[in-house]
Amino acid sequence: MKKPARVKLKSNPLEVVIAGVKFKNPVMTASGTFGYGSEFAAYTDLNKLGAIVVKGLSLKPRAGNPGPRTVETPCGMLNAIGLQNVGVDAFIKDKMPFLRGVDTRVIANIFGETIDEYAEVAHRLDNCPGVSALEINISCPNVKKGGIVFGTDPLQAYAVVKAVKDAARLPVITKLSPNVTDIKVMVKAVEDAGTDAISLINTLTGMAIDVEKRRPYLKNVTGGLSGPAIRPVAVRLCWEAKKVARVPLVGMGGIMTASDALEFLIAGADAVQVGTASFVDPDAAVKIASGIADYLKRHAMTLGELVGSIRV
Amino acid sequence: MKKSPDTKAVVLYNKEILPGYFLLGLKWKAAKAAPGQFVMLRTSGGFDPLLRRPLGIYSVINAGGKKTFGDDGIELLYKVVGKGTKILSQKVKGDGIDVLGPLGNGFTLKAEHENKKVILLSGGMGMVPLVFFAKALGSGTALFGCRSKAEVQLASGFKKNGCKLRVATEDGSAGEKGLATDLLKDEITNDSVVYACGPVAMLKATAAIAATVGAVCFVSLERAMACGIGACLGCAVKSGKHSGVYDPSGVIENREYKMVCSDGPVFDGADIDWEAF
Ligand SMILES: Cc1cc2nc3c(=O)[nH]c(=O)nc-3n(C[C@H](O)[C@H](O)[C@H](O)COP(=O)(O)OP(=O)(O)OC[C@H]3O[C@@H](n4cnc5c(N)ncnc54)[C@H](O)[C@@H]3O)c2cc1C
Ligand SMILES: Cc1cc2nc3c(=O)[nH]c(=O)nc-3n(C[C@H](O)[C@H](O)[C@H](O)COP(=O)(O)O)c2cc1C
Ligand code: FES
Repeated sequence: MKKPARVKLKSNPLEVVIAGVKFKNPVMTASGTFGYGSEFAAYTDLNKLGAIVVKGLSLKPRAGNPGPRTVETPCGMLNAIGLQNVGVDAFIKDKMPFLRGVDTRVIANIFGETIDEYAEVAHRLDNCPGVSALEINISCPNVKKGGIVFGTDPLQAYAVVKAVKDAARLPVITKLSPNVTDIKVMVKAVEDAGTDAISLINTLTGMAIDVEKRRPYLKNVTGGLSGPAIRPVAVRLCWEAKKVARVPLVGMGGIMTASDALEFLIAGADAVQVGTASFVDPDAAVKIASGIADYLKRHAMTLGELVGSIRV
Repeated sequence: MKKSPDTKAVVLYNKEILPGYFLLGLKWKAAKAAPGQFVMLRTSGGFDPLLRRPLGIYSVINAGGKKTFGDDGIELLYKVVGKGTKILSQKVKGDGIDVLGPLGNGFTLKAEHENKKVILLSGGMGMVPLVFFAKALGSGTALFGCRSKAEVQLASGFKKNGCKLRVATEDGSAGEKGLATDLLKDEITNDSVVYACGPVAMLKATAAIAATVGAVCFVSLERAMACGIGACLGCAVKSGKHSGVYDPSGVIENREYKMVCSDGPVFDGADIDWEAF
């Protein structure tokens, strides 16, 4: 039931504006860990999320990799899903009607195997009501350039972001890969290409071997490491990115609790995303948002004062 | 979307019924479960082990008017194989456990199969969901395979639930010497409907035998799971029936992978691409 409209005396302390978009709180769900939102509807209050970032979308549907696709590792997990998804058209037609009924922001995570594909996916989402922003996953091999990963080559990353910016009017968040030597170079490249914000980090490439069988656990051999095991690396990259970044940052990597999220905010992120934690507790993101509110109250701080407040 | 379901369960008992095998009774509000469904439970309150562990439902504790346990709940039967199940085995009466579920589709006897001869085929811990299914059916032929005599007791639930039971052990220390699928070859006709759960090799053989004689067969599959609710797309199995056409980049028109947690765990044996397993 709706409460009668009232004059708000105090504004929402968790509200944050990123890339010109207002979010009710700084806690979003990370792409690939929250499906298309509906999967979690029975287990958490989706209306309390800052945003839902949906599973990465490509131009055509993708089948993904053969299994096993996941394996647990110490305080983390490896995944090699292979970017299975319904494709951008089916997303707009079949998944968006549900998402439009949720009182939160929807961010569409996109990827492609060529620069044209990125641009075309972005273009198709541009006129879709209910999509508030695009998040570009650049941790993808460029098939035309012999498989070189867009996200590890600053020139390629620049070209992708530029093409997406030219193809769409929606605000663009570029998601950086941690598998680079110097994150600052990547920050500069995507900023020069016009990105409106940066999110980081995507998974760290890893591998685990079943010693009895002498085989890798994943059929794909290697996979992306996520979960608490990567958090210190992610916080460090966020802090380094903040030193040079002009655009807002969205931090992630192993956030399980409000305290984990606070590390990223203090290191300089304006918002955070919660990934693997949602598998462990489907209500994790909502709990983290309320934990951040408690912290701000306890320290009599605003969210703006907290962001980047690290004392070194 | 307003209210999340109750994931708080309380341990009623956690008995070692055989060395390394535990029967766990949980008081749990969301105990409305169908045979073949499973739960995802957190073995530790912390993050190591990180992910929930999937366990099949062995039975539903229905207090009804009797209030035997003061509430409804479920029974799980598990084997200690690693870190998570080890921690689980140390839980005692009154401990809280976070349980998500019931999840998945489960076994059903379809109307068109009602007049067929029902065979419940299991190997090792694969008996868990089938004993529950036997209770719902109240009759049928249960075929159970295990390593040796020590594990035969696991299948006692089939008899209790009204099934005829035949046992095979690999070492011949009890029942017939051989595999459960050897018994299956003996029992199956083209008028059988087989429900199977156990090791992949067993399920693969079962699907092949059923296909040869022209019987219907449903299998319950296992895959490593992260979410259990169809969100991570981690527990994929390749479906045999696909109208999609590959192009070199691996892009297809139809979804070819099915999720064990949300599309299954029970599948038509003829729908699975066993070569890809
Ligand atoms: C839908 C579903 C239902 C299940 N139902 C039951 C059940 O009713 N009872 C039950 O005892 N188990 C069941 N399992 C298997 C159970 O989930 C695993 O045994 C459990 O997750 C192992 O956790 P762990 O932390 O103890 O072992 P881990 O530390 O994860 O693994 C330790 C060792 O066990 C092996 N292992 C891991 N998973 C399995 C597995 N599935 N089967 C055999 N060995 C494994 C690993 O290779 C490793 O060597 C089910 C699995 C699924 C997917
Ligand atoms: C199963 C799984 C699937 C993922 N799929 C995507 C994806 O499609 N696109 C993307 O940009 N990131 C994807 N990610 C990465 C996450 O969004 C996130 O960057 C990463 O998991 C680190 O955060 P975490 O430790 O909180 O999970 C995926 C992660 C996991 C675990
Ligand atoms: S375990 Fe996540 S989709 Fe099945």
